[in-house]
Amino acid sequence: MNYLFQVLTIISIYSILALSLNLLIGYTGLLSLSHAAFYGIGAYIGTLSGIVFGLSFFPCLLLAIAGTVAISFVVSLPSLRLKGDYFVLASLSFQTIVFVVLYNWIAVTRGPFGLTNIARPTLFGFSLSSDFAYFVFSGIIALACLGLLYLIGHSPFGRLLKAVREDEIAVSALGKDITRLKVTAFAIAAGFAAVAGLLFAGHVRYLDPTSFTLLESVFVVSIIIIGGAGNVSGPLIGTVLLVTLPEVLRFVGIPYTIAPNLRQIIYGLLIILVLRFKPQGISGEYGFE
Amino acid sequence: MLVQLLANGILSGCIYALIALGFGLIYTTTRTFHFAHGAIYTLSAYLFYTFYSLYAWPVWVAVILATAAAALAGILIDRVIYLPLIRRGSSRLVPLLSSTGLYIVIVNFIAIVFGNNTKIPSPGVQPTLVIGTLVLTRSQLLALGSFVVLFVFVLVMLRTTSLGRKIRALRDDPELVSALGINPLKTRTIVFGFGSSLAAIAAIISALDVGIDPNIGLAATLTSAVALFVGGVGILEGAVFGAFLLGTLQALTIWQVSARWQDAVTFLLLLFFLTFRPQGVLGRRHRSDEVAV
Amino acid sequence: MSVLVLDHVSKAFDGIQAVKDVSLTFEHNAVTALIGPNGAGKTTLFNLICGFVHPDEGAIYYQGKNITGLPPWRVTRMGIGRLFQDVHLFDRLTVRENILTAFQNQTGENPLKAVLLRRRMLREERSHNRRALELLDFVGLADKADDLAENLSYGQQKLLAVARVLAVDADTLLLDEPTAGVSPALIPDLLDLIRKLATSGKAIALIEHNMNAVTNSADRAYYIADGEVVSHGSPNEVLGNPTVRMHYIGI
Repeated sequence: MNYLFQVLTIISIYSILALSLNLLIGYTGLLSLSHAAFYGIGAYIGTLSGIVFGLSFFPCLLLAIAGTVAISFVVSLPSLRLKGDYFVLASLSFQTIVFVVLYNWIAVTRGPFGLTNIARPTLFGFSLSSDFAYFVFSGIIALACLGLLYLIGHSPFGRLLKAVREDEIAVSALGKDITRLKVTAFAIAAGFAAVAGLLFAGHVRYLDPTSFTLLESVFVVSIIIIGGAGNVSGPLIGTVLLVTLPEVLRFVGIPYTIAPNLRQIIYGLLIILVLRFKPQGISGEYGFE
Repeated sequence: MLVQLLANGILSGCIYALIALGFGLIYTTTRTFHFAHGAIYTLSAYLFYTFYSLYAWPVWVAVILATAAAALAGILIDRVIYLPLIRRGSSRLVPLLSSTGLYIVIVNFIAIVFGNNTKIPSPGVQPTLVIGTLVLTRSQLLALGSFVVLFVFVLVMLRTTSLGRKIRALRDDPELVSALGINPLKTRTIVFGFGSSLAAIAAIISALDVGIDPNIGLAATLTSAVALFVGGVGILEGAVFGAFLLGTLQALTIWQVSARWQDAVTFLLLLFFLTFRPQGVLGRRHRSDEVAV
Repeated sequence: MSVLVLDHVSKAFDGIQAVKDVSLTFEHNAVTALIGPNGAGKTTLFNLICGFVHPDEGAIYYQGKNITGLPPWRVTRMGIGRLFQDVHLFDRLTVRENILTAFQNQTGENPLKAVLLRRRMLREERSHNRRALELLDFVGLADKADDLAENLSYGQQKLLAVARVLAVDADTLLLDEPTAGVSPALIPDLLDLIRKLATSGKAIALIEHNMNAVTNSADRAYYIADGEVVSHGSPNEVLGNPTVRMHYIGI
């Protein structure tokens, strides 16, 4: 039973990542390969605030969001003028740089040695140390995030983001500042990734940079490719599918040593097949054309 | 010390240059970001290891077979994955994403078959050449030799043969090419085949130098991409220039800062160019960079 | 006073001079036509005004202010609306959504307000939806409001583009070949609309190849060839000019 709650917690965390990245990829048409970087930055800022300043969960969360959003401007302002391939490369560069910093700035992040024994949050005097309690906690936060992302997406702002995806020139001709739109979308996505990051740190109670690599960014992108982009159901279906896939493999009895590789092969194949035969994914509104 | 490091940098630049030359040929001719180039690199290294270390075949047989297999794999990838997408009218991001998916599949397949740990095809200490205070290993000399020969070959081929003209035409204006009736398919086949062979040669030399593990391909792809975009996208010399720039910069980073920060420096360099000079050091601005209304 | 002024503007692309020392003025309450052969630089002039392209020499003034070098979105906000020759619709948005994007100063365009001022946003959306349907009705596309823009015929797409630029509610309109591709039965209504917009106070700049459209709707015309102004005056004067007749009309 505990195992189920752990899986559900991971689903909650990844659904926040997927739906926030969806704002960039599905709505705005920006293929960002740096989502794991913001996931990681949020996790570290939030956790370190707790360790260094002794703050409780929600102040840490606010600091994590604020710090991650601030850093997002450093990336977005120069690179959002870039088109197509160039933007993808810029996001990939940023992702790698962040990983190198997290890995090597040992004085602050303890690099590969990791931050251990991260305490579970305590709410109203009640410690969320059980898997069930933490699942309910993450689930509620995830629902709140999903709700906010829904409201943001179903608004003139969301509509303009989709318009940017379709035709940037027309959007400027209508008097709307494309750069401001993209930078804002980027900041919002980064902020939600930070929330997911702090939830993740509290769940596994251990942080090291290897959770926040380029391949992790690719993983979140593939959730959107496979599940579908643009609407809400696509990323959610993608999250459930790709998060439970390794668990399914485990039940089927695949040997421990090759399971991680086999899981990657499956989702690599899914990316190729989906892009070739069903570009809108399982349930997306917007196809990768 | 500095001289040795610079020499090391230039020589690792030769390996990068071989990979980047192949990647660059493919990118500038077909405008495909061939992420799976790194998978071909890894595949060639493991095939060479299989033929040379496991089956104990003669080294030249292993080299030729591994290279041929790589060329074939590259051509197949283009036919099976990229061309159907291009015919459908995909934007450039879709082949990039499929390519990334393919990279993941191939590399993990290799990991399942061979395991994740490092393999050394050529154990033991390498013979070295000593010039004054400089010590150069056999691998470094192989890298230098191969690069010089192959680069000259490519330059000559591009300038003098009809194939070279077709490649340059495709590079400068893909739409014009179909209108002129040059068959892009044959040119693509050659470009993917040859580009993959270059990656294979680089992989084999590197395998003999430091050994192999399933993750070597990622660094190969990314480094060659950085080399290409920093050096200059429209021209092949750009990829080579970028590769040597990177090799030297990495050596300097190791000298002044630490080896651990290499990647950060590499990608900061790329970010700098993408932001301020997207055409790279040697490239030229295109009219399409201005807004098309 | 002229509302929109181009002052000795020049622009070259890759060594080819697209616009050579061009000076134009556009007035309120008037339709000013730009006519001339294809490739003469007319669309480039519109791009220069809008800010998609910056002049090598010269300046552009709107309502007395120098707008040279401003980004396109700012130019639009100052009051200049643009209709493109190649439509530039939002293909995968619905017809209705295409119009809705055009309204200015929407509360919901700020994501914070979209969440915190939800009720106000929804009220505005309702009133914008009503206005959008009015515009669609006017161009005959009301029954297609929820179709995707890419599923319309070319003529319908042009009409949608017209409705969209009307939604911007700009003071000055740059219309690049609005009648091209529109079914002949609808052209008189379209021209009628253009005249009405002018008489209601707007300044209209019109690029057209349809000579009837020009003679019937325009108050003034410029003939542009090879990036230069060859002749200007009333449409009849310009079309009567012997050089123009020879090059353009072929008589």
